[in-house]
Amino acid sequence: MTTVPRKPFDKSQVWLRTVLLLLTGVTLYTLMQLSAPDLDQKLALMADNFRLMFSESHFKHLTLLEGLYGIAITLSLAIQTTLIGALGALMLGLLAARNLAPHWLTSIIKSFVALIRAIPTILWVLIFAVSAGLGSTAAVIGMTFHTVSYLTKSYSESFEEIEPGVIEALRGCGARWWQIVFQAVLPTSLHPILSWTFIRFEINFLNAVAMGAAAGAGGIGFDLFMAGGHYLDFREVGMITYLIIAVSMILESSSIQLKKRLEL
Amino acid sequence: MELLEIRDVSKIYNRQTVALSNISLNVGEGEFVSIIGPSGAGKSTLLRCINRMIDPSSGAVFFQQNRIDQLPKKKLRQVRTQIGMVFQHYNLVNRLTVFENVLHGRLGYKSTLAGVLGYYDSFERRAAYEILAALGLQEQVFKRCDQLSGGQKQRVGIARALLQRPKMLLCDEPIASLDPSSSKIIMDHLQRISREMKITCLVNLHQVDVAIKYSDRIIGIRNGEVVFDGPPAQITPLIIEQIYGTEAHELILSLETLQPGQKSPVKQSEVAHAAC
Ligand SMILES: Nc1ncnc2c1ncn2[C@@H]1O[C@H](COP(=O)(O)OP(=O)(O)OP(=O)(O)O)[C@@H](O)[C@H]1O
Ligand SMILES: [Mg+2]
Repeated sequence: MTTVPRKPFDKSQVWLRTVLLLLTGVTLYTLMQLSAPDLDQKLALMADNFRLMFSESHFKHLTLLEGLYGIAITLSLAIQTTLIGALGALMLGLLAARNLAPHWLTSIIKSFVALIRAIPTILWVLIFAVSAGLGSTAAVIGMTFHTVSYLTKSYSESFEEIEPGVIEALRGCGARWWQIVFQAVLPTSLHPILSWTFIRFEINFLNAVAMGAAAGAGGIGFDLFMAGGHYLDFREVGMITYLIIAVSMILESSSIQLKKRLEL
Repeated sequence: MELLEIRDVSKIYNRQTVALSNISLNVGEGEFVSIIGPSGAGKSTLLRCINRMIDPSSGAVFFQQNRIDQLPKKKLRQVRTQIGMVFQHYNLVNRLTVFENVLHGRLGYKSTLAGVLGYYDSFERRAAYEILAALGLQEQVFKRCDQLSGGQKQRVGIARALLQRPKMLLCDEPIASLDPSSSKIIMDHLQRISREMKITCLVNLHQVDVAIKYSDRIIGIRNGEVVFDGPPAQITPLIIEQIYGTEAHELILSLETLQPGQKSPVKQSEVAHAAC
């Protein structure tokens, strides 16, 4: 009888299992420590608030039109930061792609954008708020900053997916760098570029909502902040949440539609 | 002077892999030269050292009096317009149409902006159409390249190279991914190109029989060195053995004896010649 040889010892597997086991232990321990004397009451109160928010939603301090206006402001914040960010990222992404730029340059750009990405958007906005003051300017700059770094990484990775032979073929024809970019690289990676840009647009819409509340950037986020933090009107918070969810869903489906069109 | 002169060219990858060692050869105008040799022998490296897609480690490459290995970038681009390349995997931009891909052959002649915008004048467009028609692709002109068969894609690749109005074609295993009938079509086109348009063809091949049938001259490479250089008539089993090693020779022979009923594209006399 033949025996299947044992799988060779794999160090990374052992590590992975140890870490998972540790995490499970920590989670179980904290869950057991979690005890509040009036936990039931608090949960019941929360459930009631949720019911108020989402089953009795209404507009009170805000009209529907004003809500839509807030949405429009938030949307334009998202569009603006995504567009400017995408343009910057397109250029940086080309210079960060290892098949299009020298190695030293790609590593500089890649580590630079990784650093920017490591710090969350809201922190960038607050950092820029130090010089520009809280408000839409800081929000635009901070969000654009993070968008550039996010899209630079995604774009450059899409560019690197291109078959090396295609670039070689055009170089062999005597084509210049810009010609190769526009005649081969961009047409080939159009689809991933659009996908990434749309994903970032959706992220930026949600960021813009948060910035309205947290950084005074205005728009529907600010209305949400007023309804929840100032007027303490949970029903209005619920209504505004519905509005935001509706817009997100419209964005999602329109991006799917657009991609379908382009696939043809 | 010859069209192409390769003098003592060596290529060492990463300071350790010797891909080519002291290769010297001359190629004249309109010659059809096949380069054969086992996998890893350095055939692709040799082709790419000619138009400097790969920089040789030492030696000199002359093409039309230009010393390629020392040309500055701008001049190198000009010389590259004179050298077309055809690849095993076609290397077309799949999302663009056949026509756009063929017109890429003009990029080396254009200003940066015109190339970026994909602006081509009526002469270039007519030439592209004529070449496509000559290769039997007039029905496919405005199809996207990802809708073509392998043989059609390879003809698009050839059309792109021809639109460069090259003096020489470098073909790296142009038929390695094609079925026998598409292979024959491609090889026939390449032969016509070299005979009628007097364009020199340097073709890397894995099929010895095809090389024997189509070439004016065969170059055998093994371990980065030229081990045979002569007309197809001089290919003998001994020489095949020198190029590919003993086992390969037996394999080739047994293949030929195993399929006596099947007619290979090689003329029977030549097979007999190669096998005797
Ligand atoms: N980019 C590279 N970096 C390092 N080594 C390489 C590189 N390209 C080729 N080589 C090595 O150089 C040698 C010659 O390779 P080459 O591709 O020229 O062979 P080939 O004759 O074209 O083989 P095949 O018939 O399989 O295409 C091989 O040993 C290969 O491993
Ligand atoms: Mg090869």
